[in-house]
Amino acid sequence: MIAHLRRFDWTILGVILTLLISSCVFIFSAEYQSGNEMLAGKTLRQIIWGTLGTGIYFTVAYFDYRKLKEIHWWIYACALLLLVVVFFCPEKSNAHRWIPMPGFDLQPSELAKIAVVLSLAAWLGSPATDVEEWITFVKAAVLSATPFFLIMLEPDLGTAMVLVPVTIIVLVIANLPLRPILTLIGVGIVAVIVLAVWLRFLPDTCPILTDYQKSRILVYLNVTQDPLGAGWNKLQSQIAVGSGGLFGKGYLKGTQNILGFLPRTVAPTDFIYSVIAEETGFVGSSILLILYSTIVVRCMRAAIKAQEIFGRLLAAGVGALIFTHSFINIAMTVGLMPITGLPLPLMSYGGSFMLSTMVALGLVQSVYLRRRI
Amino acid sequence: MKIRRTDQSPSLRTYVVLFLMIGGYFLLSCALWRLQIAKISQFENRQRTQSLRRVRLPGIRGKIYDRNGMCLADNRPTYSIALFPEGVRRSGGWARTIDHAMEIMGEVSEITGLKPNVKRSKIKNHIRCRLPLPLILWQDIGLRSMARFAEQGGGIPGVDLYTKVTRNYPYSPYTSHLIGYVGRANLDELKKTKDFSYYLPEMGGRAGLESLFDDFLRGEAGGKIVQIDVSGYRFGELARREPKRGGDIRLTLDMEVQLLAHQALSTNRGAVVVIDPNNGDVLAMHSGPGYDANLFVPYIRSKDWNALRDDPCKPLLNRAVAGVYSPGSTFKPISGLAASTVDPEAIHDIYDSPGTFVIGRRVIRTRGHGKVNMREALKYSANVYFFKSALDHGWECITDQATAVGLGKKTGVEVDFERSGLVPDLAWQKKTGHGGWTDGDTCNLSIGQGFLAATPLQMAVLTATIANGGYLYRPRLLQAYRDPGKKNYDPAPRRRVGKMNWSEEALSVVRGGMYDVIMSKDGTGRRAAVHGLTFAGKTGTAEYGIKREGKKHTWMIAFAPYDNPKYAVAFLIEDGNSGGSTVGPRMKILMQGLLAKMTREQGVGGGGGQRSEIGGRRSEVGGQRSEIRGQRAGGGEWIQALENQGGEAAQEIGNRQSKIGNSHGGES
Repeated sequence: MIAHLRRFDWTILGVILTLLISSCVFIFSAEYQSGNEMLAGKTLRQIIWGTLGTGIYFTVAYFDYRKLKEIHWWIYACALLLLVVVFFCPEKSNAHRWIPMPGFDLQPSELAKIAVVLSLAAWLGSPATDVEEWITFVKAAVLSATPFFLIMLEPDLGTAMVLVPVTIIVLVIANLPLRPILTLIGVGIVAVIVLAVWLRFLPDTCPILTDYQKSRILVYLNVTQDPLGAGWNKLQSQIAVGSGGLFGKGYLKGTQNILGFLPRTVAPTDFIYSVIAEETGFVGSSILLILYSTIVVRCMRAAIKAQEIFGRLLAAGVGALIFTHSFINIAMTVGLMPITGLPLPLMSYGGSFMLSTMVALGLVQSVYLRRRI
Repeated sequence: MKIRRTDQSPSLRTYVVLFLMIGGYFLLSCALWRLQIAKISQFENRQRTQSLRRVRLPGIRGKIYDRNGMCLADNRPTYSIALFPEGVRRSGGWARTIDHAMEIMGEVSEITGLKPNVKRSKIKNHIRCRLPLPLILWQDIGLRSMARFAEQGGGIPGVDLYTKVTRNYPYSPYTSHLIGYVGRANLDELKKTKDFSYYLPEMGGRAGLESLFDDFLRGEAGGKIVQIDVSGYRFGELARREPKRGGDIRLTLDMEVQLLAHQALSTNRGAVVVIDPNNGDVLAMHSGPGYDANLFVPYIRSKDWNALRDDPCKPLLNRAVAGVYSPGSTFKPISGLAASTVDPEAIHDIYDSPGTFVIGRRVIRTRGHGKVNMREALKYSANVYFFKSALDHGWECITDQATAVGLGKKTGVEVDFERSGLVPDLAWQKKTGHGGWTDGDTCNLSIGQGFLAATPLQMAVLTATIANGGYLYRPRLLQAYRDPGKKNYDPAPRRRVGKMNWSEEALSVVRGGMYDVIMSKDGTGRRAAVHGLTFAGKTGTAEYGIKREGKKHTWMIAFAPYDNPKYAVAFLIEDGNSGGSTVGPRMKILMQGLLAKMTREQGVGGGGGQRSEIGGRRSEVGGQRSEIRGQRAGGGEWIQALENQGGEAAQEIGNRQSKIGNSHGGES
């Protein structure tokens, strides 16, 4: 036990707890209306989820991740099953994203992300897999493409998209030949450009995407401003961040959020970073970036020090997951990427995501605890 | 199966990936820098424009007082019940909020007993256009409703009492032609000056002094910055600059005299102007019929407006300055004085004044008086005397004197819609196609008929000039003004503009004639005589329109007391019978009132020095002048004023437009 405590990565735990506490603090701010000083609603629930998540974190950390090698296919199959089941659940906001559970709504795509990382790591890390073979690459692609398409059909393009960089990073670190990976990246970039040009000039004939997604991308490409419609969140989030200045307006004084320009439905979830950036300014939002960098660095450190390839890929995959999520979320907040409903890990309000993030980070701690030296 | 290389290059790849990820975060921090530091002003502006609204708060209008400090234009607080939209908001469509507002209005209506008079469409419009501002549901509610509301309505969310200030004219029907009125200010004009998002109803001067001194009275508007939320509801107030008071003005008007004038005119159509001959102060200027200026605040209903506009008696017309009438026989003193300016001996002329007079082919029938001198001619108002005098001494001197005493030009008093009247001469006749100047024109002019036209105010100035011995003052209504925040008034300048070139002798003859008019048993103005007051005057009856209809405007001018004039009066009644019979008794009422006032004020009425031979032949050089001085030793102010201003360069009387600016030039 003592040995465990000594090997424990206290840095990442400290950062995680800091983020969790700030999460509750700023969700309170996002919910704040003058005269309402009570701890209630989302703040309270976030505290509960955070506490629960911390408990799970320690549980997972002490659990030997290597045992997962035996059961990872079951987890993967279970995730796929849930992704199918979700289509039979009642629609909510025009999408099948949630499975209603007593007390909360389960978001199977969150589980799927971990399952994909886990299976990729376990399979690529297994001595039976020859990473040099091109068929490995194809198999790995299929492994993550199956949940990718299922999630895209929900539709939840944002979450689905997260799988792409995560898979690529795991493949790179798993030492697969670079050429097919780079080719895939090249093809992807070309596809995105083609899609963007298509949307830019002939938006009506463009396949795959729904009108909603199209309009968001068009807003991002600055083809249309539509500040009162699809462009509202982007504009208001930029105004919130931009008007924050160097030190921000002060806690509970973010007018964009208090006056409701940043919609109350998204301020505590996808746009929590706007609230923080407005109230704490460049200083606060940079500190947050540094905290996320620290988590990613500690994940990669765990990967480097991992005892075996499975552990290395698992930790790197989780690091990639955290990075992708936080990067896309913050990038959309500041207007660098189109608006996708992607939460900020550890900060955004949301139960499923909080738990899945804590499980993932717990796995990294588990890997670190069982490192080589 | 190949042997796996477990751990060499993988960590290199890991480092590369980590490096790229940190690069990603660095990119984000650059984007943050660009947004939060480099472009902050742009986003701050956007945030302000979308969440802040500037509301203009109207300035507090200054007050108008009479010379004794009676308030003629006041501000009165009114209590309204207002709906604050943010208090009745309902989520969902606007219709739900409007429904709720209607419910609340019904609730308040039941409590207060006021009928709901705001329509749904008005609430809808308010929500669309002026959401952050309160909507007035009931204006100016009575005390009873207010008490009920205060007692039971306090708990209803979204409604509250709302205080506003409106203009009030306590003496309105008597002062409305002078004070004018305010109405809703012209928003387009306000919008030019400063950019506000919302304007509260604001009063602006529309007529009279309210309009002439609008800039001075208006005060300085304040403003507040209201923060609105995403739906446009008021969220809070961020900053406020209190509006400033406007300046106050004090008039030369004496409400006591003004009310006397009103009482004297009674229901007749006409005008009364009372001037202080010692300085040109307008003590009263009344035009009848009047109107209630309070009807115009804050805006006049079309029914009331049409009634005023279509009234055949023209109550909106200020007859004292905007009505021009032939002065008739009241002009004769000027004819007499004019003759003396070309021939000092003219005052001794005696002409036979028979009942008929022939000029060219025209035969003028009038009353005969036999051989009369100038004093008698004035007393009896003998037309033929003045015909003959004018024919002997020429008409030019009469037009010169009429012009010099201020006829044919606006006096420039601080009243709007003033008209200039007309002094006809050869050039005017030619220009307007009335042919050359004939003897008939001369005769008409000499008795104040024909094209000659004057306003009652001009006639009052003329009377004052005769009363004070030839000193011409431009009448003034503004006595003093007080800049906002100051305690003391700054006096407006008195405006002595010159001295007439009338000889003392001529003046004493003319004044004597005017004395006889009133004081003599057979004077034409004897009906105006007041026991205990010595004063002088002249009646006038001016025919107008078609001769056979016999329409006449009736006049009387007077100054009192005779020895030490304090009041110079011009009294006009439209469509009267004759000056003596129509205006005389009314003048008497006015003079009685003035006598009582004088007696009360100093115990030195005109009755003090009942002198039977005043204005008789006093040929000593400067005799009358010193006489006047001597008599007025008591009223030192008058003399001082004369001496103080004796050296001042006379202002151009016609320079009237700049006058208003001059008189309160220091205000801005």
